[in-house]
Amino acid sequence: MFFMDPFFWDLFVNGLLIGCMYALVAVGFVLIYKATSVINFAQGDLVMFGGYIAAAGLSLYHLPLWTAAPIMLALMVALGFAVERGILRPLIGQPVVSVVMVTIGLALVFQGLAAMIWGAATINMPLPIPLKPLIIWEIFISPINLVAAGLCVAFLVVFAYFFRRSRMGIAMRAVADDQQSAMSVGINVRVVFAISWAIAGLASGIGGLVWGNMLGVDTHLALVGLKVFPAVILGGLDSVPGAVLGGLIVGAVESVAAGYVDPYVGGGTKDFAPFIIMILALMIRPYGFFGREIIERV
Amino acid sequence: MRAKGWLAIALTVAVVVGLSVGVADAKHAIKIGGQCDRTGATKLIGVEICPGVTDYIKLVNKKGGVLGHTLEYTEVEHEYRVDRGVEAYERLKRDGVVATLDYGTPIVYALTPRHMEDRIPAITPGFGRADSLDGEVWPYIFPMAASYWSQVGGAMQYIKDKGAKKGAKIAYLYFDNPAGREGIPIIERIAKKEGYLLRHFAVPSPGLEMGPQVIDITRRLKADWVVAHLFGRSPSVSIKEFQKAGFPLDHVISLVWGAGEADAEAAGWDQSQGYLGLQFAAVGRDLPVIKEIIQMSKDEGKEAPKYVGGVYYNRGVLIGAILVEGVRQGLQFGEPLTGEKVKKGYESIKNFTLGGFLPPMTVTPQDHEGGGWVRLYQVKGKEWVPVTDWIRGYRDEVIKLVNEANKVAKVVKPLQ
Amino acid sequence: MINRECGVYQTTYQGDMALYPLPLAKISYALLLLVLLALPLAADSHTMAIMNLIGLAAIGAIGLNILTGYTGQVSLGHGAFMMVGSYTAAILSSRYGMPFWVGLPAGGAVAAAVGAFFGIPSLRIKGLYLAISTLAAQFIIEWCINHIPWIGGGAQSSIYVPTPTLFGWPFNTEYRRYFMVLPVLILAYVGAQNLVRSRVGRAFIAIRDRDVAAEIIGVDIFKYKLLAFAVSSFYAGVAGALWTYYLKIANYEHFILSTSISYLAMIIIGGLGSVLGSVFGAVFITLLPIVLVYVVEGIARLFGFTYASIADFLANLRLIIYGGLIILFLAIEPEGLYRMWGNIKRYFRFWPFSY
Repeated sequence: MFFMDPFFWDLFVNGLLIGCMYALVAVGFVLIYKATSVINFAQGDLVMFGGYIAAAGLSLYHLPLWTAAPIMLALMVALGFAVERGILRPLIGQPVVSVVMVTIGLALVFQGLAAMIWGAATINMPLPIPLKPLIIWEIFISPINLVAAGLCVAFLVVFAYFFRRSRMGIAMRAVADDQQSAMSVGINVRVVFAISWAIAGLASGIGGLVWGNMLGVDTHLALVGLKVFPAVILGGLDSVPGAVLGGLIVGAVESVAAGYVDPYVGGGTKDFAPFIIMILALMIRPYGFFGREIIERV
Repeated sequence: MRAKGWLAIALTVAVVVGLSVGVADAKHAIKIGGQCDRTGATKLIGVEICPGVTDYIKLVNKKGGVLGHTLEYTEVEHEYRVDRGVEAYERLKRDGVVATLDYGTPIVYALTPRHMEDRIPAITPGFGRADSLDGEVWPYIFPMAASYWSQVGGAMQYIKDKGAKKGAKIAYLYFDNPAGREGIPIIERIAKKEGYLLRHFAVPSPGLEMGPQVIDITRRLKADWVVAHLFGRSPSVSIKEFQKAGFPLDHVISLVWGAGEADAEAAGWDQSQGYLGLQFAAVGRDLPVIKEIIQMSKDEGKEAPKYVGGVYYNRGVLIGAILVEGVRQGLQFGEPLTGEKVKKGYESIKNFTLGGFLPPMTVTPQDHEGGGWVRLYQVKGKEWVPVTDWIRGYRDEVIKLVNEANKVAKVVKPLQ
Repeated sequence: MINRECGVYQTTYQGDMALYPLPLAKISYALLLLVLLALPLAADSHTMAIMNLIGLAAIGAIGLNILTGYTGQVSLGHGAFMMVGSYTAAILSSRYGMPFWVGLPAGGAVAAAVGAFFGIPSLRIKGLYLAISTLAAQFIIEWCINHIPWIGGGAQSSIYVPTPTLFGWPFNTEYRRYFMVLPVLILAYVGAQNLVRSRVGRAFIAIRDRDVAAEIIGVDIFKYKLLAFAVSSFYAGVAGALWTYYLKIANYEHFILSTSISYLAMIIIGGLGSVLGSVFGAVFITLLPIVLVYVVEGIARLFGFTYASIADFLANLRLIIYGGLIILFLAIEPEGLYRMWGNIKRYFRFWPFSY
């Protein structure tokens, strides 16, 4: 019955579109985890940095989109390389909690740095997309959400092709599977680490572009990184298609739950519902839809 | 090992140098202080308001201070967090301040008992706890100019003037924290009185996403008017979301802290046309005090920053001016100046306008708000322009609510 | 020379099992206690405030270290458990008029129950998955307190608490509040030191080091994991309740995610797996923003800047330095301040030999 309610479809469709944007960030996260086993708490901050660079280019220096975007992506790739080389490389072999803390520390540094360079005011990210909503079959769709989702899907398709068909992609999958064996067949693991961070930087850059447009760019943009966790847990920490599915589910669930449950509980369901789902998933199926079971060895 | 050794030495040297230089500071001046949020949820406001306060104090000091005394304003960063706000207050207290600005409604709530005990008055212009209007129950808290209840009253008055009838649908969109929830009692009361259909929509901190709420307001509730109590990041996000959903922005009225240039700029001026907002202080550079400040910057060889004359900066100047006025009035009770004297000073403020910043404000020991006047502005072009004159809406409802709220407080008070 | 173990012999079992068997340790701890007790005579109100903040932070940090440092379960939800204790104490004291020495343990107990509940997933998941589930705990508890009026005190989600008193003697200055915090800290510290030396503590350490092996030798890991969560949350709850009595208000913003991260930073910088390290970490992280502001302001003043012109810069610098120090510590001294302290002690122990 509530499937007939246009309100539900409004929420669901727009939620799904936003879910594509979550999926993008989640893929970056999973990529780093798969290749280097690092839980990157600074994923949201990479998105924020990408957003800042793009917004600075568009709003402060008034560059056209076709100039600003490639510059931003190039810088984000460079940032990915730099972080991997400078910060994570020296910490290989440290216990898990240390690496987690390092990424948390990195997150704080990014936030302070971004605010120092670009100021505390929220910067607008103007994209040449009309704001007025489209109405299709009584459901309203925001063109910006559509374009953002389209960008994310395009990236994911290109990335999937890269991951499955190209040599580097296969090398990355090999390293994710078993580092020792990959090294023994001659794959340069260090290069793979660097490339995975670089691609994660790229994904974060695109994420920064779309999220920055939706939310406005300032240091709070990094909070997007928190929503990544339910998405990757649902999908499985080491599964890229899982991350996509998880992102979509998170986007849809939070939108629908917020729309229907908020009036009864006084709000806040949007941030709360994905974490409830995540806890349930952790209790019932901890490794997510597509994750791999971790086998204990004494 | 070498690196560790050098690092330790460098850190120690830095700390020793800094502490020794930092501590040496003893001037015979009147000390006042306040917190500021430059890195937290409301930093969009903080980075404009705090310079307003300090610039005004600098101006006053340049002109000879208050009756010969220089004023020393200490600003402590607190990230809009209650625990850091309390620590900041304790530090200011130790420095010997006689008056404070408590930045942030949650911080005001947390510090209220301390202000009562320490007898140091706090001003909370345009925010804070609306029930502190009653100066007899809350002697040391001053919600000057227009508390949230007065602001909501003004917004509802405008809605009524624009033709809202019984059964009109009002949405109250608010930031989900004590500041945002402050508006709930009064808007419910007024809506009940007028027979409006009212629904609340909470936006959780820090107010980045409100898609479902806006979709609900626009498509399910199909609200006629939205009263938005958002601040920091959230107003700009709300503007964009309303545009995306197709809700007319000229039916969205924001309370004072969502009505700044920074908010419209963050959303994009083109996107924000028609957005309404309340102000409790004048906007623009066409005011004598602002002109003096700009001149002061020119005398130092610097161009005044872009935000001078803006909504939030001017409020900062107003805050500074109220602090100064309190000190000035308090000095007539004798020296050395104490918190109690400043409190009496605040209560002696009569017909205060600061050269056109606000309608004449008169504070008494019973009425700590001193007015409750607001003015509606709208985004047109690349600035905020006024659309009404100074109004005061539903004043009797506000006063009634204050009395009801304080009836409980009067009973609880002996426990403190 | 003075710090040696030879020539020190015990004649009773109790002597052997004492917490600090060496005379040097006994003397130095006694001296420390004396200094702490006498501090109010010499220090001003602001220093007392800082000591109180350090003490409050240390209690929470010790709790987190029991869970993360000794049992190896990374927890990002420590702030939320403190919130539970804080609100429990606030409700008991403001609505039911309980005195603070009931509110403290009650806050701890309720927090322990909640903590144990959120530790249940640890049966099925471990490592980072568990850390993320504690992150969920943080948000869920925050949401519950904010949105259940009976807990959160209605629309304003802050609960006032009357001044805590002991036999009619109110704790209403920083000096008096110091004597509210200090005994709890001492109890917490000694309790933790004894806990980790005991059978339970050894079980915790076994779980951290190799939990499958621990299970094989007969340690019931599920029970001990839950116990670790419960004990750690008890500490958190007591710390949270103490915050409530200290601030005379319970407000959820005290205990948000960045608070949990601060506590994690405290124990990592202080030293995972050591109670003394938690205290070091608490001192460091609490003093960091305060010292930083003084230092940067002082240096800036040397160059002629006023606070107003560098305020923005300073605020963001604090974030950068905070994050940067965390990274620095992890890169240079992963075992934290406690290890550095150990190095210093060892240096003097072997002096004039270098090894």
